[in-house]
Amino acid sequence: MAKYFIKRFVVAIITILIIATLTFVMMHSIPGGPFTREKALPEAQIQILEEKYHLDDPLIKQYGDYMAGLFRLDLGPSFVKIGVEVNELIALGIPPTAKIGLFALILIVILGIPFGIISALKQNKPIDYIVMFMATLGVTIPSFVVATLIIFVFAGGVPALNWLPTFGLTSPLGYIGPVLALAGYSLSFVTRLTRSSMLEVLRQDYIRTARANGIREYKVMAKHAIKNALIPVITYIGPMIAAIMTGSFVIEKIFHIPGIGGYFIESITNRDYTVIMGITVFYAAFYIIMVLLVDVAYALVDPRIKFTKGKS
Amino acid sequence: MGKILEVNNLHTSFFTHLGEVQAVRGSDFSMEEGDILGIVGESGSGKSVTALSVIGLIDEPGKIKEGDIIFDGKDLTELSYKELSDLRGNDISMIFQDPMTSLNPVFTIKNQMMEVIRRHTDMSKAEAKQHAIKMLEIVGIPEAEARISSYPHEFSGGMRQRVMIATALSCNPKLLIADEPSTALDVTIQAQILDLMLSLQKEIKTSIILITHDLGVIAEVCTSIIVMYGGMIMEKGTVDEIFYEASHPYTIGLHKSVPSMSRKSNERLVPIAGSPPDLLKPPAGCPFSPRCDHAMQICLELPAPMFDINKTHCSACWLLHEDAPKVEGIEKGEAKNG
Amino acid sequence: MSDINKNKFVFVSDREKEHDEARKSLTYWADAFRRLRKSKPAMFGLAGVILVVLFGLIGPLFTNVSYSDQENDHRNLAPRLAIYEIEEGVFVHLSGDYNMFIVPEDGNLQVLEVYEEEEELEGRSDVGEMLSPSEMRKQREEEAAKVENVNLIKYMYGEEFIELDYSFKLERDEKGHDFDFAITYKGNTVNYPAKTVANKLYPFGTDSLGRDLLTRVMFGARISLLVAAAATLVNFLIGVVYGAIAGYKGGRTDNIMMRIVDVINSVPLVLIIILLMVMFEAGLGTIILAIGLVYWVNMARLVRGQMLSLKEQEFVLAARALGVRSRKIITRHLIPNAMGPIIVSMTMMIPSAIFTESFLSFIGLGVSAPMASWGTLANNALSGLLTYPYQLMFPAGAIAITMLAFNFLGDGLRDALDPRLRKG
Repeated sequence: MAKYFIKRFVVAIITILIIATLTFVMMHSIPGGPFTREKALPEAQIQILEEKYHLDDPLIKQYGDYMAGLFRLDLGPSFVKIGVEVNELIALGIPPTAKIGLFALILIVILGIPFGIISALKQNKPIDYIVMFMATLGVTIPSFVVATLIIFVFAGGVPALNWLPTFGLTSPLGYIGPVLALAGYSLSFVTRLTRSSMLEVLRQDYIRTARANGIREYKVMAKHAIKNALIPVITYIGPMIAAIMTGSFVIEKIFHIPGIGGYFIESITNRDYTVIMGITVFYAAFYIIMVLLVDVAYALVDPRIKFTKGKS
Repeated sequence: MGKILEVNNLHTSFFTHLGEVQAVRGSDFSMEEGDILGIVGESGSGKSVTALSVIGLIDEPGKIKEGDIIFDGKDLTELSYKELSDLRGNDISMIFQDPMTSLNPVFTIKNQMMEVIRRHTDMSKAEAKQHAIKMLEIVGIPEAEARISSYPHEFSGGMRQRVMIATALSCNPKLLIADEPSTALDVTIQAQILDLMLSLQKEIKTSIILITHDLGVIAEVCTSIIVMYGGMIMEKGTVDEIFYEASHPYTIGLHKSVPSMSRKSNERLVPIAGSPPDLLKPPAGCPFSPRCDHAMQICLELPAPMFDINKTHCSACWLLHEDAPKVEGIEKGEAKNG
Repeated sequence: MSDINKNKFVFVSDREKEHDEARKSLTYWADAFRRLRKSKPAMFGLAGVILVVLFGLIGPLFTNVSYSDQENDHRNLAPRLAIYEIEEGVFVHLSGDYNMFIVPEDGNLQVLEVYEEEEELEGRSDVGEMLSPSEMRKQREEEAAKVENVNLIKYMYGEEFIELDYSFKLERDEKGHDFDFAITYKGNTVNYPAKTVANKLYPFGTDSLGRDLLTRVMFGARISLLVAAAATLVNFLIGVVYGAIAGYKGGRTDNIMMRIVDVINSVPLVLIIILLMVMFEAGLGTIILAIGLVYWVNMARLVRGQMLSLKEQEFVLAARALGVRSRKIITRHLIPNAMGPIIVSMTMMIPSAIFTESFLSFIGLGVSAPMASWGTLANNALSGLLTYPYQLMFPAGAIAITMLAFNFLGDGLRDALDPRLRKG
């Protein structure tokens, strides 16, 4: 198994390099240089800037420099925010993004899984219908709509419910809106997934066996059913991280949170190519590593997984 | 020896959104201690539902509508789920058709066996483990001590069924219900599992209910047989009576549709035409009447009562009535509840 | 027992025994359609989809303004207007921008001109506009000054003036209500709206530039549906061809092609779409291309899986033995047999394309102004959310309804076409 994961790790590194290369190619194939602005800069100034950022070097040398920087974990300077390094931006952006992301994750786990289980155990009862109705809304309504609704209802639009600040993370209450909006989709998805997986497991023969052997009902559920029901949920962790990541772009924009997603959107609006490139590579690397970790966790939970012939 | 199990007028139905599916409609039977009772019938005949009713594992939306199940002097239909659960795995055990799916894939054999043993006895962990290893050795698993820590997927189908049997017998049950225990296995493994069950039965003196659609299996191991069709018992008797003196057209039809060594080489297999009844709307009369070659007007209107042929043999067929025309191969009997 | 009529003991003929009706045999598609029709959510979904399509395609024919027409006086008008009765039978409405309208019975709004004296108002900037810090400070000071002085606007109505006092006195009257405005006409002062009426001119209200939101939401529907349809088509073409080739050829070709899919799939797809959008000029075509170019990987995987299992089946072997060419085997035998899962996957693709488009528009990578998709509309409404919530509610509601409808239909289709995927 160790061999398999070493192989996976090497593949992950190669994938990150391929993605960095593709991002580099894409960003350098954009017509006009990075200093092409609405207000045209004087020719001389552009030249100075290009020299300063080595943009006058041949493309292949720029690529070499970029990749070399990548190995030193150096993503280069921003072209728009003069004097700011991409690394600094990411370092600044990580804490708020990580905080709301982590809280969202906790919320998804502590609410989504129990809701799914309850819904499955009370199949076709009122509680099941309510939970499923909410979850269906949650997976279909985009997070930015949910976020704006939260602001409207709980941050001023309805005077009686004016409980939350409209933006920022300055007070603990400020976390509620962004975390809820960020978690909404995945929370609903996990609820639905847990429910259907639980229903599937409850129909399995081994549950009947456990009952036929007189195992107490709560133990049949808590031990035999839930562990099996959670296996498909683990496979969703990868897509869930992706959903939280991309969700954070809009959530941070709506709630004015100075996180990495907010910087990413800002860099897109400003056409700040090195920042776009840097954050993309950062996101990709983060995602790939997380998926790798999920696979390790998966192998620990499900003894049937064998790693002799790659993923099945 | 006394009666270990007595089932009276059992009705079990499933209340689905399409309506009531009457899976079992009035089963009566009993078995003596040490008996091996075979229940045969095609799928949907109610044989598995009968067994699940006995062990109290009829899931929603199913329900035992009426009837008594007297096990060891207690009426199981009166017990709460919890009281039943104390019996299950302890006094009554059950093993199922598909050993590939009947063990929980994410726990080791040791974990699953010890859980059952410790549930019903007050053995310590170490004792329970020793007992589990002993049980595995009894059912013929080599290197039981090492293999007990394996996961189910590391065992073959036959081995898994042995594990199931070991678990089921680990608390010395008085009654073992085996629902098609060998159907999902290779033919050679089938024989091994059946032999194992037979030898264990002699050793542990457990009574066994063996449910199967395979007449060959029944002939090999059972002492008495129940033939079920459409949720009702068609015929009851000893192995010899059912095999050589069958008096119900359905039983006779079953024999004709199965290949056998004693059959003459040019003799054809005769399938039973038609399909089993829809238990949402079971026929008013005998469930087999729509497919029966000898169906009479009365068969379509009224289910037949049990006609006693002798002390051990009885059959639910109107042809056994004194007024019925004579059909070759079917001897007249006496109505039981006349 | 003895009371049973002996006549009943006669054999019945075969005909009387025939209980089994010959079951009608249904084709795969007829059976799927029957199952789809039985599913209530799927039928709701279908109705919703038809409604949205009609709304987007036919709706704009019934409005007399275009999505880009601006009416300066009609900025930020709500779908429901609070009207004040200044005189028996004469109602006025005051907009958030302090424009006053006469609201006649027919709902046609008639703006009143401001008496020139109060020139300071002309310089008032829009709520939604971004200001530099110094400008903002200046404005705040001005506003503070206004509150101190009594603030009055005079509107000309016929020969008379209507005076608006908006000094935010918030005094309580005898009924215990507080009020924001005092409207005085011919000596009578009105503090409370008499009632709210529907805005007949702009059923969905107007945006901060005075554009009709109904028309804009309708055109938004067009964009969303166009993007969804086109992106799904691109995704279908690439995905099916790619997956079919990989699955049919197998071996090395399959291995290499699937490694490429793995690399694409190893990062969140939205990230790739964003990069493509940055790389190309933003616009409708780019969105379609970007979504179509990226989402096909799932389709390719699905089709490949289908091909792998189908190509082992006898009818394919038979076709091969007869010398049918690979291309024809793929197009005539394999793809038609995989059509069920392909269609299911395509219906599921539509809501995710709609979502992605509105997501991109929302973060500013969408269609270019003055064209507006639902995402753009939602984004534009964001800054004035608390004052003009309706500007958000309509596009957001449209997105939500469309997503729900397509999802319900997709779920129903999945259950109908691919029973193996059915969930409990």
